[in-house]
Amino acid sequence: MFFKLVSQNSKRSRKENGLFFSSLLISILAFYLVLSLSQQDVMVFLSKMESDAVNKLLALIPAFYAMALIILFFLIYYASKFQLERRRHEFGVYLMLGMRRTRLFAMLLAEDFRGSVISLLLGLPAAALLAELVSLVTARLVGLGIVGHRLSFSLDAALWTAVGFLLVKLAAFLILSGKISRQEIGSLLTETPEGARKQMHPAAYGGAVLVGAACLAAAYAMAIRGDAWDGIKRMGLALILGVFGTFLFFWGLRLPLGLAARLGNSNRRLHVFNFRQIQENVIRRSGALASCSLLMLAALCCFGAGVSISRHYGDSGQHVLDYTFHGTEDEGPAGQPLGEREDAGAKGQGSGENDKTAAIRQTLAEHGLEGYFSNLFEMKIGHIGTSEDTGNAFQMESAMSALREMEPSRARDMLLNNLSYTTYPYVVSLGSYNQLLEAAGLEKLELGAGEAAVYMDREYASVGGAEELLGRVLEARPKALLGGEELYLTGPVQTVNLVTDRSITLNFALILPEELFGSCTQGEYGSYLNGVLDKSTVEHASLMALFSDMNQKLDSTGLPYESYLQNMGRQLFYMVASSYITIYLAIIFLIVANTIIGVQFLISQQKSGRRYRALIHLGAAYAGLRKSARAQINWYFGIPAGMAAFGSLFGVRALFTGILPSGAKTDLPGMMAVSAAMVLALCVAEFCYITAVKRSSDRYLLALMVPEREE
Amino acid sequence: MKPILEIESLKKYYGKSKNKTKALDGITFQVMPGEFLGIMGSSGSGKSTLLNCIAAVIQPSGGTISMNGRQIQSLKGAELAGYRGKEIGYLFQNFELLDNLTGRENILLPLSLHGIAEQESRKRLEQLASYLEVQEVLGKFPAQMSGGQKQRVAAARALILNPGIILADEPTGALDSKNAKALMEKLLGLNQNTDATILMVTHDSNAASYCRRILFIQDGIIFHELRREVPFESQQEFYGRILKVMAQLGGGSANVL
Repeated sequence: MFFKLVSQNSKRSRKENGLFFSSLLISILAFYLVLSLSQQDVMVFLSKMESDAVNKLLALIPAFYAMALIILFFLIYYASKFQLERRRHEFGVYLMLGMRRTRLFAMLLAEDFRGSVISLLLGLPAAALLAELVSLVTARLVGLGIVGHRLSFSLDAALWTAVGFLLVKLAAFLILSGKISRQEIGSLLTETPEGARKQMHPAAYGGAVLVGAACLAAAYAMAIRGDAWDGIKRMGLALILGVFGTFLFFWGLRLPLGLAARLGNSNRRLHVFNFRQIQENVIRRSGALASCSLLMLAALCCFGAGVSISRHYGDSGQHVLDYTFHGTEDEGPAGQPLGEREDAGAKGQGSGENDKTAAIRQTLAEHGLEGYFSNLFEMKIGHIGTSEDTGNAFQMESAMSALREMEPSRARDMLLNNLSYTTYPYVVSLGSYNQLLEAAGLEKLELGAGEAAVYMDREYASVGGAEELLGRVLEARPKALLGGEELYLTGPVQTVNLVTDRSITLNFALILPEELFGSCTQGEYGSYLNGVLDKSTVEHASLMALFSDMNQKLDSTGLPYESYLQNMGRQLFYMVASSYITIYLAIIFLIVANTIIGVQFLISQQKSGRRYRALIHLGAAYAGLRKSARAQINWYFGIPAGMAAFGSLFGVRALFTGILPSGAKTDLPGMMAVSAAMVLALCVAEFCYITAVKRSSDRYLLALMVPEREE
Repeated sequence: MKPILEIESLKKYYGKSKNKTKALDGITFQVMPGEFLGIMGSSGSGKSTLLNCIAAVIQPSGGTISMNGRQIQSLKGAELAGYRGKEIGYLFQNFELLDNLTGRENILLPLSLHGIAEQESRKRLEQLASYLEVQEVLGKFPAQMSGGQKQRVAAARALILNPGIILADEPTGALDSKNAKALMEKLLGLNQNTDATILMVTHDSNAASYCRRILFIQDGIIFHELRREVPFESQQEFYGRILKVMAQLGGGSANVL
């Protein structure tokens, strides 16, 4: 009998409370997803390329797991609370009939456990499937076949998911059932409206709203100006102000809501009732609402920032070169290492080394590797050697003045600023650049004698139309002075990456005809051997396998090299680490916040079932009640969500100022647009949640319309 | 004079064939305008079912209910809600005031439910509040009112739309004797001064003695009817007669019948 009751109750719980059951499933999915991260294709791939960083990230997983545990505890706690609250009367009846409290407890525990096991049985396969899907989708998104897919079910992850889930469930259950079992039978049997609340003077609430708003404004201002990033103390202050302000604001919100009930358009149907209901909910749960609002804000910020950051890192431009070998054509220190600003280019190019391009070629040939490349060519890059005066070796006054006369814009100011420092630019040989263009499948560049083309890295050129702006200046073939010699600058601006390493970027360089290059550098230049793999000769499951294979072969030659894959890996890592985790957190935050709000609304609606019944007696029609409840839901969700959306305008922006790399900062408007789009997408998610709660509320009201026999 | 409410062989059965409960088994009576009618009966006799049928909260199994010549079973949706809200005023045993609304907001709730502008009823609100002596609690929440005040606020709410008939379901059930007496006097005053029609279900003989006519229900049928002989019969004497019938209705009925 006992077990029959348990099984029937647990079945009924699942059927009646989809919200509860689905939040259990979501928790399982969330646990499994974070735990199986190391099995994801992208992560498997990255651990080969960037093992240090990946290991650091994976070492963080237990921390994420613990965090998910805490957050999901709240989710399960509130969902279970709703579940148990609606059965209060039933428990009262059991106790009245003489069931002992320990037995009731045992019965609830058994029901709970049964429910958990069923959730796990359903949830784990779903989670594994979802993880598989995420793995596949990310693999496709990041590299179209770069990463080979393999099946990735992780038993460890499944086990830990089960352990974490059961643990959280048990903790929530113990707290809740403890609360329920301490109550008197009488109070279980009656639907008790929560006791009368102490009312403070309205001025206290008004003051709270104002002070809260002021705190929030201060926190937003600190965030957006970037002050908050100056140090831990300031950051802490901004956070405390924000959190404190939010709580205070929600606490004081009862006053404006009360005023709205009193002063609003009271001729609208049930206007007063609606606002009193919302006010009551806000009064009772101002703390929970404030927390939910903060969670939503965190979700919005995570989401916006995650997507923007990944977009920034994901936008790596076209993929032309597969390998670059470092070496110097010339002996001695004259071989200038490229990229003084970012010394990654100098890596592997020891100053004393004496490898020549030819020698590299030879080494490759000796190891039988030359055939793997469809194209191997030299990239010659050097400095002006004809002038000692690095402050004035290059002058382009006419181009600068033409630029100054253009319409003021951010791009113009940025160009003017950057170009004013280009007094000693790199020079690139036209011959090697044309080979690069050929490899990229682009048209060759033709330069007349005394002409130079302008090179600018894509990262700089793509900002706010700088490329187009400079192109317009170059149409007029402005005159410039290079080491005292006159030459004409021509467009269009060249932007194809010179070497494989994407951390090497040139703000400004000149592409010179072979002859001019020779005389200008006086034969002293740095040289790189670029290689493009011949993909047709090698058959591989994925580009990744091809690269891994090739890297192994190249490692045996002892040649220093930079491969597209390593760059790809670095970029991927940033992208995956930032976007995967932020988006994951965003989704969890959002689900938890929305579930708590939804569940709270439904609990309070059931508690005020008596009021709805009175309204029905007074002649309320179903349509009217439905409309009224729906309006309440809109407000109840809308207040915290609106606060969060408003805060996210500042929050996302603050995140950008604080954590984005400088290159990405220049494209702030673009980033903000992406974030705005994400916020919009999240509004859609919010809408879905609200709709679900509305449906639930409609069902409840419809059930109320059928009168009970009271005798 | 036409009756305001006509009940014709009203039946309400609960359950299916074998375990069918006949809550109402063919009840017929009329209520004339300005009448103060009481319905008495023991627990489970069907009096609340009768009231709920008249309030169109439950659907009868058979028979007809006509309010002002209109059959209410045929009402649907908005018409039905309108009927419940405007043609009848309902007074509950437990007041059923919404505890998060002030007294004034509670009284004006029917207006809000039926989309009627508040301005129209402002004067009536003042009249009712002063007659029922609840002016000082209009701005208070139910938790801050006494039981008597709550029921008088509930009465104001039932009367605000000037309904054709007031249905009172054990209105004194949750009140002490002093507050019960005060409420009954207010209801009687309304009946006498404004010709309000009142149909009251009660098993409090004291409250019932304020009525002009009382129907006694047992096992779903009308078992007896008492009329107060005004002006010859005092309320005290009428009360005595009620007690006698109640004694028969209760455990004593088996001995009498």
